[in-house]
Amino acid sequence: MTFEPQVLAFCCNWCGYSAADQAGVAKLEYPAGVNIVRLMCTGMMDPYYVLRAFERGFDGVMVVGCHIGSCHYKSGNLQARDEMARVTTVLRALGLGEGRLVMDAASASEGSRFATLANEFVEKMRRLGPSPLREVVAR
Amino acid sequence: MTGQRKIGVFICHCGGNISDVVDVKAVREFAEKEDDVAIATDVRFMCANEGQERLQKEIREKGLDGVVVACCTPKMYEDLFRAKAAEAGMNPYLLEIANIREQCSYAHRHEPDKATAKAKRIVKGQVEKVRRLKPLEVKTAAIQPGVAVIGGGIAGIHASILLANLGHKVTLIEKSPTIGGNMARSVKTFPTDDCAMCTLSPKMNEVYNHPNVELLTYAEVKEAKRSPGKWTLTVEKKPRYVTDACIGCDRCTERCPVSTAKSPIQVDSEWDQGLAKRKAIYLPFPQALPQIWTIDPDHCFYFLKNGACRVCSMVCPAKAIDFAMKPETATVEVGAVIVATGYREYDPTPLAHYAYGRHPDVVTQMQFARMLDPMGPTKGEAVRRSTGKPADTIAMVQCVGSRGAPGDPNVHEYCSRVCCMVAVKHAQLIKKARPETEVYILYNDLRAYGKGFEEYYARSMELGVKYIRGLPGTVTPDGGKVLVDVDDMLTGRRLRIPADLVVLSAALEPNPVEGLLASLHLDRTADGFVKEYHAKINPTETAVKGVFVAGCAQGPKDITDTIAQAGAAAMSAAVFLGSGQMTLNPLVAEVDPALCRACDRCTEVCEFDAVHVDPDSLVAVIDETACTGCGKCGVVCPTGAISVRQFTKPQILASIDALAPMAVVP
Repeated sequence: MTFEPQVLAFCCNWCGYSAADQAGVAKLEYPAGVNIVRLMCTGMMDPYYVLRAFERGFDGVMVVGCHIGSCHYKSGNLQARDEMARVTTVLRALGLGEGRLVMDAASASEGSRFATLANEFVEKMRRLGPSPLREVVAR
Repeated sequence: MTGQRKIGVFICHCGGNISDVVDVKAVREFAEKEDDVAIATDVRFMCANEGQERLQKEIREKGLDGVVVACCTPKMYEDLFRAKAAEAGMNPYLLEIANIREQCSYAHRHEPDKATAKAKRIVKGQVEKVRRLKPLEVKTAAIQPGVAVIGGGIAGIHASILLANLGHKVTLIEKSPTIGGNMARSVKTFPTDDCAMCTLSPKMNEVYNHPNVELLTYAEVKEAKRSPGKWTLTVEKKPRYVTDACIGCDRCTERCPVSTAKSPIQVDSEWDQGLAKRKAIYLPFPQALPQIWTIDPDHCFYFLKNGACRVCSMVCPAKAIDFAMKPETATVEVGAVIVATGYREYDPTPLAHYAYGRHPDVVTQMQFARMLDPMGPTKGEAVRRSTGKPADTIAMVQCVGSRGAPGDPNVHEYCSRVCCMVAVKHAQLIKKARPETEVYILYNDLRAYGKGFEEYYARSMELGVKYIRGLPGTVTPDGGKVLVDVDDMLTGRRLRIPADLVVLSAALEPNPVEGLLASLHLDRTADGFVKEYHAKINPTETAVKGVFVAGCAQGPKDITDTIAQAGAAAMSAAVFLGSGQMTLNPLVAEVDPALCRACDRCTEVCEFDAVHVDPDSLVAVIDETACTGCGKCGVVCPTGAISVRQFTKPQILASIDALAPMAVVP
């Protein structure tokens, strides 16, 4: 069976989530293994959610918010950026450090950007192969 | 856990948009077996009446206490479905949307099997979330009647009149002794050359005499406090030392010794931009409102010399002088606030190559406007300040302090928008009054963007105004002249203009009202102007509920645009006030007092001053009118005491688990 990466994308309501909607409306395609969780703001992105996602077998985690300077809540994306940088060090220690967590931005009008981000990230996960945690979790 | 809740799952075909890709029946059969799902059904169009009737019927008949509608993005119909659910007796916040159109059938339309599997995961994710949702109480707060307008320039005046005409009680607060603002100084207005005062003065009178307007002049907002539906402004009224018994006879000003030839104290007139002096007791300008004189205690002999001079008091026939007057504090309680604090002219002194402040024959456009006023310091004539003789050659320099290099602390990066037309206007006025005058406008780009502007600009060229593309490198006083050296970019020639008067088209910059803005929780954009809610589609609203912005406080604009925006701000305020009550968004942070340790982490990260630690109970308290529900606090809270409703950790974790690869058995 070919490996189909499973990705969890945390999207803020105003930008990332709207961009994903926009991608859909524009009929831009990306793999169905990209699953979206809607947050109001990436500012509510707890590092633990990332760990939980890997624990439950996801191969990669995306956090898609507003561009820096465009946060609907002023600085939620800045906090998210810091928190994700912090949890990345933990991921490295767990052997998940090859860029399996990415934080990026796509504004509400950037459907194509979202699709591109999703496609590129899935491709990267495909190259990396399944998350090493999958096996551990399965055991 | 099964049996705790009764959840209904409604899967929309979207007339094929979903069902052509996703196997709706399979999703329905999958959903039926999920925990707590009492009913799963599929509907052709959830957004049509049939769908909503079905939703309401099932809620009523099955007593549903949770609903997942699997359809298009929540941005489309979440509000509608929640309202319909509420009508049917269910708490609206127990309804969630599973987005299986934009984020599934549309995005994976060539992979129906995978799309169907994903749709199942999405539905499961939302069912798991709904299982953990709690009903939310929608709180409302009555909006305090009344509106405060801060700033008595044309923006504030216009907004006040409109709101007052609609029956709202308006408190118009102006910092200086009179209303009128910068427009009052402008002499004529482009592109029609109307007399500024002739158009402004009737509006000043209207607002001054309006029964619904309380006017507080010489008054400043010291603090603004927010509570649900209400702003409480603390306004300090400075003492004028002249009571309203003043009859406007001007005898006090005539006799005041300050600024007379022999006086050691000379005061620059704010009204005349330093081109004339004023007395210590004064009326800013003849049409000023209210017509009550003001004593400037910083320059009055009575205050400076221990009561040595009382001339004004002695000559006043109305006994209106009261040296014992003290500052007063007024409390203004309103539901809405319009910020119309306007602009001031940029001070070009830091641009040393323009010699402003070093030579009297280098002035700004605002000073020049005062010269062109028939009532002004030079009686309407463009004269050399150094000699008092008419200026035969005038060079105007554009973009002074505007459109500067990014990061240069001495200048602004933005375009001030009005200076091009101000220069065209002033150049024309001179050419009309004294055609033999040579007028040069040295520009970078001439922006004649408004209605009638291009024609106005063309007319100025017919009148003989000379346009040179290029900004001067140096402005050098030399003998009786001011030499302006400029490279003409269109001809490649270097020109030296021996000017009698150099007029700098200085930038518009926001009035320094940082304290007020901070008190109102308003942000500024990088250029220092008030940040609007959305630069494109909400230019009069701000991110703070009940606070609106009008005029140059929001960004440089001409009088036409200021009036239009002031009208829009008044309308926005009227709609807000007219609703009578505001709904408080329930999707905001909530504190579990049992877990809170009062560590202040949440208050540190909150951008909206929406949370503070109560000093008595030592528990964080949320201001639900201020909280926006961004959830930053929940991440930094070390004990998990604080979280945003419907986005709590257990709720989000349930969604993660449900979407996980191993969760769904195909």
